[in-house]
Amino acid sequence: MNRANKGQIRIVEAFLAVLIVFSSFTLSANLTVSQNKPQREDLAIDGLNTLTKLDADGSLSNYITNRNWTSLQEAVNLALPTGASFNLTVFDEEMRQVNTAVISNGGFSNQRIYSVEYVCASRDMMFHSYIIHLDLAVAS
Amino acid sequence: MPATSIDTFFACSLMVLLVLSAMASTSKLLYPYIDYATDKNTAERYKEFSEYLLLNTGTPANWGESNQTILTSFGLARAGSDVPYELDINKVSRLNNENLFAINYAQMFSALRMPDVSFKIEIKPVFNVKINLTATYTGTNQTVYRFKVLTEKHGAPVASNLKSYTVAENYVETASACALEGEGYLNATLPNTINGVVLLVVFAESTYNDKISSFSTYSFAHNSTPPKPSGTFLKLSPLNYTLTASSVNQATTLSNAYTFTSNYNLALTQTGNSSNSVTYSIPHLADACPMLIVVTGSNSTVFFAEYAAYPQVPLQTGASFEGSEIRSDIFVYAHLVTINSAIYECNVWFGGPRE
Repeated sequence: MNRANKGQIRIVEAFLAVLIVFSSFTLSANLTVSQNKPQREDLAIDGLNTLTKLDADGSLSNYITNRNWTSLQEAVNLALPTGASFNLTVFDEEMRQVNTAVISNGGFSNQRIYSVEYVCASRDMMFHSYIIHLDLAVAS
Repeated sequence: MPATSIDTFFACSLMVLLVLSAMASTSKLLYPYIDYATDKNTAERYKEFSEYLLLNTGTPANWGESNQTILTSFGLARAGSDVPYELDINKVSRLNNENLFAINYAQMFSALRMPDVSFKIEIKPVFNVKINLTATYTGTNQTVYRFKVLTEKHGAPVASNLKSYTVAENYVETASACALEGEGYLNATLPNTINGVVLLVVFAESTYNDKISSFSTYSFAHNSTPPKPSGTFLKLSPLNYTLTASSVNQATTLSNAYTFTSNYNLALTQTGNSSNSVTYSIPHLADACPMLIVVTGSNSTVFFAEYAAYPQVPLQTGASFEGSEIRSDIFVYAHLVTINSAIYECNVWFGGPRE
């Protein structure tokens, strides 16, 4: 390689370096912005609030004691904000699943899922406690 | 100029460009994080405010019971309640501008003691009831009005049990129906000997939880001229289990006062009478739904039926945020609240200068 061509090669190298650095910045900037979408952090609070309200008058434990899964599903669906998808599972003290039917208002896609754990005590003569696991997501 | 000088000049220029670009890109990269952190802090602050509003009683704790009380700090929770987010029926009623004893936004704003934050409060039933008159059957002795009642939450049907009261001059009729798919039909049968405005009151209780309920009204004419808008003849202000019915004009004569819930239909007892207002005692009822109070009377020859809910919902009070989304940070917080055992939806808006 002669001396006159040496400078040209360096300029080409520098151009390539700038191109690589710019490309990486552009890519990473876009990735960062897409991660910064507004999120419903309060969805878990809504879920907890819903279970607390249904438990305040004993409705929640009544649904579970009477194995009334349809009513439980409809009550949770009505109390949650519109557009919230949920999936609820009831466990007993030994973490065995109690609900025999799916308690949900639709499937989740690949959204971010928030989970709430709630402990509910029965109000009848025979004491039972239940652990309610509520998964929530914003419907797309 | 030698080739090496040109080479160095270009290389240096490119390096300077690279450094400047790196600085610009770094600030662009970090900006969302900084902005997000600021938003998150503001959102967290406003969330705490909304919880403060709904979990504290305010000072004095019974400020809702009388308009003579001077409000020093603002809160809507019921005093002595052990249920979170249980609101006081009187404090909620005093937020409604239609109530004679309502507090204004300036009083709320100064009692909240947050000079940099504007707010708006909305309390309403969890779902809506819509009434439509679909048919009228006129017979020799009576007329039957058929109504289609829709119960829905943001367009989604809500299964409910319906109960209706038809109120006319010295006449009350009850009917019930089911709206399992969010749609039900109710009939109002009226003798043709009656004429004047008729008020249909419909309560809807969720089939799956009777604490979640809603209501609506529908005024229509029966052998008479069309009804006037609500509030034309009387201003009804329920507070502290006392109803104050104030005449809008002097030539008004009151005849009956009723309170309705899903399961109760009671006549109210008059407890006082002054030049332009009459007071009635409101009973404490166990139903987990709002009471709907109806006062009937006449203005010269025109019969009327005015109504108010107790707690006086739905209501919206506070600052208006319309068109200010660009200039301000506005956050909305939704809560389920309990008033007299019934569950309602409460939305609180907070807005402050954009940081």
